[in-house]
Amino acid sequence: MRKEGPGAAVAPPKEVQIIEVDGHGGGHTLEPDWKRLPIGPDHILYPVVVGLALFPILMGDAGHHLADDMPDEDTHPFFPDHFWPYPIIAVVMLVAVGLLAAFVQKNLQLEPSADPRAVTIPRPDWYFLFLFQFLKLGPELIMSQVIPGIVVGALVLFPFIDGIAGPRLARRLGWKSWPVPGRNIITGTIWVLGLLYVAFLEFWALAGPGFCLPYLTGPVCGA
Amino acid sequence: MAIPHPRDIQMAVVDWLDERYPFTKAVDEALYQRVPNFANAFYYCFGGMVFILIAFQLLTGVLLALYYVPDATGNPAPAYTSVQFIQSTVYLGWLIRGVHFWSANLLIIMVLLHMARVYWTGSYRAPRELNWIVGVLMLLIVLFLSLTGYLLPWDSKAYFATEVTIKIAGLTPPPQLGMFVKELLQGGPVVGPPTLQRFFTLHVFVLPAVIVLLMYVHFRFIRAHGISEPL
Amino acid sequence: MAEAAAPRRYTRRTFLGWWLASLLTATVITAVAPILVYFWPAPPKGQKKGPVNVALQTPIDQLQEGDAVKFDAPRSPNTAFIMADGGGDNAPGELAFGGFVVKNSGKVNVFAINCSHLGCSVALNKDARTFDCPCHGSRFHLDGTVLQGPAPAPLSHLTWKQGATPDQIVVDGIVLGF
Repeated sequence: MRKEGPGAAVAPPKEVQIIEVDGHGGGHTLEPDWKRLPIGPDHILYPVVVGLALFPILMGDAGHHLADDMPDEDTHPFFPDHFWPYPIIAVVMLVAVGLLAAFVQKNLQLEPSADPRAVTIPRPDWYFLFLFQFLKLGPELIMSQVIPGIVVGALVLFPFIDGIAGPRLARRLGWKSWPVPGRNIITGTIWVLGLLYVAFLEFWALAGPGFCLPYLTGPVCGA
Repeated sequence: MAIPHPRDIQMAVVDWLDERYPFTKAVDEALYQRVPNFANAFYYCFGGMVFILIAFQLLTGVLLALYYVPDATGNPAPAYTSVQFIQSTVYLGWLIRGVHFWSANLLIIMVLLHMARVYWTGSYRAPRELNWIVGVLMLLIVLFLSLTGYLLPWDSKAYFATEVTIKIAGLTPPPQLGMFVKELLQGGPVVGPPTLQRFFTLHVFVLPAVIVLLMYVHFRFIRAHGISEPL
Repeated sequence: MAEAAAPRRYTRRTFLGWWLASLLTATVITAVAPILVYFWPAPPKGQKKGPVNVALQTPIDQLQEGDAVKFDAPRSPNTAFIMADGGGDNAPGELAFGGFVVKNSGKVNVFAINCSHLGCSVALNKDARTFDCPCHGSRFHLDGTVLQGPAPAPLSHLTWKQGATPDQIVVDGIVLGF
């Protein structure tokens, strides 16, 4: 076992020394020296590590984090414990989209070149299909601009809606607190119902022009 | 004079750099930042997957731009034939275009999953409201990127889908403003070559730049706030 | 500190503030205004409005009651028709790439092909004697009026007259120049 230089084993000291870094947020703890990878500035692979870390350098100082107040056994260092799955995820995803590109050619085939005189039924890609279907259910201006505008506005401002209206509602209902949506019957239900409605419109449209459901103005078919 | 050991040269370089900017400290701080164990749950990695997919998009997008011609004059237009050329003639062109296409689809799914997770665990709450807003803006930009990218192959479905989209934008009241918006987007009285050039510019120059900038802001916020409390 | 509470006076400092603010505004306007103008599409060189000759597959005098014949705008040079009226998505001055000549109750009408909902091309439904839109299911009577929504307005007319031969009509249009 090497006693010095790169790769040298470092004996854990009797007292674990936690290094306090004097950042602006103040007092967040780093991994103690003896637990770190044996790659210091003198190691041949250090430039690789620095290369990987160029992104974090851009990220600036960390603030005071939740992990800084947690016991050591409830936390782990970002590198390599938290980092290692991501290269694997990247490779898996790349292989997956590569296989899709190789074997699902249908979606990539071009239709005939654009011709304004052609009579075709426009059909947006799947991520706009639910909106396309929604458009059929009422006056076009309201369905295409007013309601989507309100929904997007509500999404953008949701932290404030939740933070201001939520606690008031909780007090009126006699709740002790206003929980996060995952444990909140109101915001959680709104979210799930909203997603279900979008999914319903999506599948309605995907079912095709032959699939019609009754509606106030008469039957409405898919796209 | 003895030849210095490579390690000593490297140390000298690192020392030289460290005197000018605390690189070593920055690297250590970023690398060995402690992360709560609950963040190991699989649903905390959707954001990272979105980042990886956007990286795929930027890379394959640049590669596609080597062969794509944003010209819609004539029938078939060079835009259309160049996409056909990428798909059928360019070596591995089908793969690059396929990865761009499928990553774009996967990207939208991952963005929505990430957003659903952030909503569900209440991670948008103080002090992270601004980061939620940045995130919703990026969702909109991803959708705009999909919309503008859909027109670029200049085939039939691209043309008519875009025509409907622009018509919807043109519904903005009053009618004069609607016409103004429509003509501005189309770059002319109908969807034609100028429309393709405008959408191409948005898709290739404007929107990617904006989304990269917003991603940077997003990550700076995450770094400043750390991971949010679990559900 | 005491001066701060006193009523505001215009000082050298306020003047400089306003001066700088106006300079900055002027700079931004001089930079942004030309860009905004640049965004506005200029018509290409060859763009020109005028009458367009269109050949019909069925001459108007042979058109049967309740029948319609579809025609396209010429491709070369690339031409579109100009709508004479219209509501909903269509409007006077909007462009169409096709149209129908239709005979209904002894009267001949020429309509632009675009549905007044979102501009999809309508198709003749010969049996029901209607124009049907494949996109969102709007239907129109042969005289152009709405039979069934979501279309909010009748089909747009094209301005036309009989051409030199019975199978020709002349329609108001525009050579697009691209």
